[in-house]
Amino acid sequence: MVHFALSTGVRVGLHAHHDGRHTYHYCMASTLSSSNGLLSLGRGALQWFVGWWQIAHLGAVILVLALSPSSYDRDTRLVLAREAYQATAPILPWFTVLSSLISLVIVRIVVVTALSYGLSRYALDMVVRVLVLELIPLTAALFVALRCAIPNAAEIAALRDGGAFEALKQQGVNPLQREVLPRMVAGMFSTLMLAAVSCVVALLLAYVTVHGFTGAAFGSYTRSVGHVFSPAVVVIFTLKTFFLSLAVALIPIATVVYEARLDRRRRTSAELHGLVRLFSAVLLIEVASLIGNYY
Amino acid sequence: MQNDLTPLPPQVPKNVEFRAAVLLILLALLVGGAALYVMYARGIFEDTNELFLLAEDSEGVSIGMDLTFSGFPIGRVQRVELAQGGGVRIQVDVPQKDWPLLRASSVFTLRRGLVGGSNLRAFTGVPDDPPLADGVEFKVLIGDATAEIPRLVADARELMKNLTALTAADSPIAASLANLQSVTEQLKTRGALGVLLGDEANAKKLISALDRTNALLAKVDSIAAKADAQVFGSKGVMPEAREAVAQINGALNEARASLKKVDLILTDAQAIASNAKVATNDLDQLRAEVDTSLRKVEGMIDQLNRRWPFSRQPEIKLP
Repeated sequence: MVHFALSTGVRVGLHAHHDGRHTYHYCMASTLSSSNGLLSLGRGALQWFVGWWQIAHLGAVILVLALSPSSYDRDTRLVLAREAYQATAPILPWFTVLSSLISLVIVRIVVVTALSYGLSRYALDMVVRVLVLELIPLTAALFVALRCAIPNAAEIAALRDGGAFEALKQQGVNPLQREVLPRMVAGMFSTLMLAAVSCVVALLLAYVTVHGFTGAAFGSYTRSVGHVFSPAVVVIFTLKTFFLSLAVALIPIATVVYEARLDRRRRTSAELHGLVRLFSAVLLIEVASLIGNYY
Repeated sequence: MQNDLTPLPPQVPKNVEFRAAVLLILLALLVGGAALYVMYARGIFEDTNELFLLAEDSEGVSIGMDLTFSGFPIGRVQRVELAQGGGVRIQVDVPQKDWPLLRASSVFTLRRGLVGGSNLRAFTGVPDDPPLADGVEFKVLIGDATAEIPRLVADARELMKNLTALTAADSPIAASLANLQSVTEQLKTRGALGVLLGDEANAKKLISALDRTNALLAKVDSIAAKADAQVFGSKGVMPEAREAVAQINGALNEARASLKKVDLILTDAQAIASNAKVATNDLDQLRAEVDTSLRKVEGMIDQLNRRWPFSRQPEIKLP
């Protein structure tokens, strides 16, 4: 497989550099520190590149598996249902309550501030943009990452180390299909579910906070929402939410799978690496969406 | 050994597949509902008519911007394009339910405020005007609050400069006020005539001239009284003139009587003339009578000739 070839190549290259460094150590001590720094920099860059390549590769493999009808046999469906339910149902009420409280506070702050500056007609627009477009998808993704994706990654690592993958392979079952795919799909599903529920709740709360318990302002409110959700914004919002959910579901698990293969001694730091990569990816997606929306 | 390392499967709730399906359906409903709501909010399900607004400048006009009527949004900008003549053509979609609000006499304005975006507004002065056809074009009037500011500032600066010039120490107003003050002081001491004529001697001359004028007027008055007596008094000119007029009147009456007599004589002469005319008529009649008598005599001679013996008796004898 490609990742095996790549990982082997990386190791060979690193050792070659390592040996070269020792050779220079005896004859030219003055250049040692600079070459050492360059080597470690190169090694870091290579590791960084290889790490991202492995994540992308696993993502592609999982995508192919997810789109193959053969992945959805009876056993996998059961695992998928179990993982999706367990990743979503326990955290959905808590997250909804939490995001409602935060939404309420932010809506109140924005509305009161806009009113004090005489800009109340822009308040609703700003609330919808700040909450629904920006804050809630990001919060949902981070919440799912902490509560679901990272524990899932640890679970996968434990299964690998425990030999469950080997056992599955011996039974003729692809462990990626049986164990990794359901957890990733569950992570994505959970992120989308949390974001959808919280966005709807935030829209309702914004309406009630601005207009009170009346249906009379539904027309003007709908018009304001329609103003914000122009076709370009809808596309960017959909893509952003999808890629956030993908990053949250994929990166921690992929990092654990490949880090464990590369170097078993560093398995303890694999979760940390996954977290760093996850935050980088989330930041990148968020910046890209902001650029798309406002530039 | 491997089984010992494998984590224990978590507690799986009953009907997990059903619950997962419920969650999936809920997600699908939420996403589908949100998509439908956004489409509804964007006005996709409304039947609209098109309106084209022609402007000189597209600044401040954005896609999705509202067209408001009395503060209510009634339309949405769908497209902004460069017109053939170099201006800007703004396509506004107006729902059919709001279309009757716009009439042939409607006015459209684009106003750029100091804060926030621009406003596209419609005004209809006469609601009974003929309705609009679909795809009609209007010119939009552009009012720019920020564009007015530089001109306003320039005007205000000019005004301030004028005010400063007016209120300066050596300004005409200050000099006029100083003069007014000296005049009022002179009024207090020399009176109004002194101020007007320059010094008191001139004022005294004016007063003496006035006195003399009064005396002159008194004399003129007495002269007028005498003239009145001469003209209209008992032995004045006017009574004699009246007598002369009476005498002339009597002479005129006499002349009128003489003329009447002449008139009578003329009437008589006219009667004589008419008699002569009648006499001539009688002569004509006499001649006619003579003619008649002669014919009768001629007739008698004829009868005598027939009855005379030499005359043949024409008679018819019966057998």
